[in-house]
Amino acid sequence: MIYVALLEITDLKKTYGRRKAVDGISFNVDEGEIYGILGPNGAGKSTTLSMICGLITPQGGSIKVGGFDISKDPVKAKRLIGVVPQETALYPMLSAKENLRFFGTINGINASKINEAVSKALMIVGLENRANGRISKFSGGMKRRLNIAAGLIHEPKLLIMDEPTVGIDPQSRNHILNTVKELKKGGMTVIYTSHYVEEVEYLCDRITVMDHGRIISEGTLIELMKKESEFQKLTINCGRVPNECNDIIKQLPFVEEVVSFSDYIDIITSNAEKILPVAFIEIIKRGGSVSEIKIQKPDLESLFLKLTGRTLRNGEV
Amino acid sequence: MRKILAIVMVGIRQNLADPVYMMFTLFMPIMMTWVMSFLPSEVYEMAILGVLVMFVALNIITSAGGYIIDEKKNGTWQRMLSGTTGHWHILCAYFIRLFVTAKIQALILILSGKFIFNAPWDHGIFSIIVVLSVYIFAMTGLGLFLAGFLKTQGQVQAIAMGIVMIGTMLGGVFFPIDNANVIIRSIAKVSPQSFAALALKDIFTANAPLDNFVTQLIWMLAIGALLLFGGVIKLKTEA
Repeated sequence: MIYVALLEITDLKKTYGRRKAVDGISFNVDEGEIYGILGPNGAGKSTTLSMICGLITPQGGSIKVGGFDISKDPVKAKRLIGVVPQETALYPMLSAKENLRFFGTINGINASKINEAVSKALMIVGLENRANGRISKFSGGMKRRLNIAAGLIHEPKLLIMDEPTVGIDPQSRNHILNTVKELKKGGMTVIYTSHYVEEVEYLCDRITVMDHGRIISEGTLIELMKKESEFQKLTINCGRVPNECNDIIKQLPFVEEVVSFSDYIDIITSNAEKILPVAFIEIIKRGGSVSEIKIQKPDLESLFLKLTGRTLRNGEV
Repeated sequence: MRKILAIVMVGIRQNLADPVYMMFTLFMPIMMTWVMSFLPSEVYEMAILGVLVMFVALNIITSAGGYIIDEKKNGTWQRMLSGTTGHWHILCAYFIRLFVTAKIQALILILSGKFIFNAPWDHGIFSIIVVLSVYIFAMTGLGLFLAGFLKTQGQVQAIAMGIVMIGTMLGGVFFPIDNANVIIRSIAKVSPQSFAALALKDIFTANAPLDNFVTQLIWMLAIGALLLFGGVIKLKTEA
């Protein structure tokens, strides 16, 4: 038997003017796994997802979903895909049920099966009691859950979720994360992008880190951490980070990356013990006051920082 | 066909749920028709038909661009395209939605002109249907063509007002242009609004046969088809 991944992406390219939005990336997503894509704004995540969904035509490479090439067999390929966009892509003046009926119909569900599909999708996202409610009256979290239901209505094999938890309350966020876990248990394959590292750590079987249109690291969380295990994250809480500290610490040996926030500074280093006294003196010399120091093993956030020189939520450092 | 029908029905429900749209497409033209009915009898008939063709064109052009921009902003456009519904289905549904709503609008305005404002219209129902259908087709083509190029609601409003106002005001619809300069008379010759209003008036009042308008009808059909094709191709290649 020949093994075929559910999603096969080979040498995918897309250019806007001179800018290479996606620069020859390749990866596979296996059936039943949750595959995380991490990257700062402008890394090429959304362009990649749009090409997988068939919204943007690639300039090179191929995308196969369930063995069907999205360019040559778009209908067969798209039938296997469900999309949960970042924004709540629903009609506010329709009820939850009407929205799902509509998206079910345009995804080819027969009239005889549509009611059953709507009830099932509402049950998955826990909105069966709000089926007839107009969604303009829904909370942000409920709209997000319905947004997921609209992506699931035609029972796709591959669900693409683009930052589905942005800007919602913790309760709805937990509900969505649990829903994704449940979908995986049911055999669903998910591509998940998020700015929240803890979500990716919690959900994803494999993770790819993208920046400037390229994949800069890929693997399971453990594999990624192993690759970077010689590095540590040194966090110095200093009340106010003096202006020039960032640049000076960056020049020091063993320092991979530095990012400063309003009251603390993160340093990715291969030798925290050597860097700490020097960084400490530099901060004090420039008027900072060190109140707390932490040396941690690398987590996904620090790995991301080391790989891209950027934080996930704050963009360019 | 179910997919197309579903998109049309959701679109019409959106229209009905939007009070601004309803005011703009029905209440305002009826008010203007009422104002025009105070004009002297020799000009008011043409003027109220002018109101009809102007508001129908405005409705179609602003809606065509507006629908697509709104859908893109909401993400529903992308969601539809990422499913198994093709561009052609979606644009066919948009065409039907625009055509049907414009027809309903024109019908309501004609009925209100005749029965509320006592316009002396007694002839040529079939001819009226043909002329209005061709006119609405041409305007729908223009609307979807522009929708492929316009990116914001502001652009849609500005272009629609420009095209419709120039075509209607300078097309001899609201005032006689026999003695106007050559530019205005040239605009009147090619303006679909001018043609539609004049043809409707001739049919309504003099029961003019359709044969009188064959050249203009063919011209409008050709222009409508060309623009529609161009618009669809532009919207398709945009993805």
